[in-house]
Amino acid sequence: MSRIQEFMDADPGKDYYAKLVEELSELNTKLNAFNNINMSLESGYPVSFKDNICVKGVETTASSKVLKGYKPPFNATVVERLLSKGFGFLGKTNMDEFGFGSFGLNSEKPARNPFDKERVAGGSSSGAAIAAAIMENHVAIAESTGGSIAAPASFCGVVGFTPTYGVVSRYGLIDYGNSLDKIGIMGRSADDIRHVFGIINGKDRYDATCTGMPEGSESQRSSRKLVVIENLLKDIDAAISKSFERTIAKLENSGFEVERINLKELDSAIAVYYIIAMAEASTNLAKYTGFKYGNILDDFSKEYNEFFTEAREKFGNEAKRRIVLGTYIRSASVREKYYYKALQIRRRIGERLKEAAGKGHIIMPTMPMLPPKISEANKLSPLQTYMVDILTVPANLTGLPHISFPTDYSNGLPIGTQVIGAPYEEYKLLDFVGEWEKVFKYRFAYNLGSL
Amino acid sequence: MDYKEFERLLEVCRIRLSKGEKEGMKKDIDEILEYFNKIEKDKVGKDVKPAYQPIDLPEQLREDEVIPFEDVDDILANTKTYRFYIVGPKI
Repeated sequence: MSRIQEFMDADPGKDYYAKLVEELSELNTKLNAFNNINMSLESGYPVSFKDNICVKGVETTASSKVLKGYKPPFNATVVERLLSKGFGFLGKTNMDEFGFGSFGLNSEKPARNPFDKERVAGGSSSGAAIAAAIMENHVAIAESTGGSIAAPASFCGVVGFTPTYGVVSRYGLIDYGNSLDKIGIMGRSADDIRHVFGIINGKDRYDATCTGMPEGSESQRSSRKLVVIENLLKDIDAAISKSFERTIAKLENSGFEVERINLKELDSAIAVYYIIAMAEASTNLAKYTGFKYGNILDDFSKEYNEFFTEAREKFGNEAKRRIVLGTYIRSASVREKYYYKALQIRRRIGERLKEAAGKGHIIMPTMPMLPPKISEANKLSPLQTYMVDILTVPANLTGLPHISFPTDYSNGLPIGTQVIGAPYEEYKLLDFVGEWEKVFKYRFAYNLGSL
Repeated sequence: MDYKEFERLLEVCRIRLSKGEKEGMKKDIDEILEYFNKIEKDKVGKDVKPAYQPIDLPEQLREDEVIPFEDVDDILANTKTYRFYIVGPKI
């Protein structure tokens, strides 16, 4: 029986939940993990949802002022499925506005790392990672476009699971990039994630892109072979590089065979990813007009364009930048040069990565650096920030399943490693991480809700 | 991108910026586009199909049937309304 099922069967009682939400509220003032907390939670296994996932009647803003006040009249499919299986809604987690960020700083309240409050938590699912890191009995539902689950999972020292594109329904998700968005899970163990994934994956009549997992895949076992892509590791920090090689040595000693390859196609992965992501984001953000929902403007005497322009002033700087760039990329004069070519290169990168994943699980560090100080991250230019995604973009661009999990600690900060599988190899990857957890104990800065 | 083109783009996007914000964004955008230009060196044959989706998905269609949405009042609660209509700006 899973740990989650044991918790549900034991039912800790109302006092447990009252204490949990009280302690969580207090800690939240320091870490900014939650945009709102359900103070009346009284039952169920606590689950949180990233603030771009709709929960009926609960303010859902994707951390954007444009959506301030929006209360969806429906539940996202993932919400519906979990609440119907005995999970209790704990709250909505903080994030970079619409998912635009790698550090969790593009929000009204910047997220802080539970291991060191002066450092970033990672993004864009910053709050989900913090939530998983500070509570013993909790899972966080997050979303990844280019690394928004793996990155904060690595920086906050938790397990971050991103499934194959299309396996989990996105009905009720506030879109960023339709060909890139995936709903996933963050937690403290592969076992917890396996339990939740079994509930949320599956076809959905409201999402035509949702396939679910192939039948019988739950019994998949990990590959005994691992593949390291050498050319991706050339620009990462020395501390990460050394730690990664130690992890590889441990795995080799445990009986895994390791093959090292080069994939030069990945050299343009960041550019290709951001071209596609910005093109898609700029179309998705066109629907925020200031009168249908979210932040409603009062002066209806204005001409439509003026009204629309004023409503869009509520977007943050990164959102505005992506709207402008994405609109340019899609314009007739350069569409072939940027957007169309990026889609062609994506196909080629996908083919190469799938070939590599066919040999064994691809393994690499999740982030090229330890979590930086917030003051340092704020000094980076937008392009420098995009470059931080160098290791998380390949799997996300090509829709491959991947899991980031803690493998080391340096100066008290966690270091994450990720394994990437071929499409629909989620359970193989969960089996691999489960095996790792038998020999490596994760550390956490807080254990709220401990029984 | 020249400045005239940038100004036109802001207008198309309905994004209004101060003079200082414009200068900052223009500089960032030029830097990012220069980086994006690296894909020009990638030789991709014309026969390579664009990957509009990262994974080839089966075509899934469903019957076009009407399902009443019960909570219409909740939708309207998110906006300003007059009788049963959403109030918007002039066109």
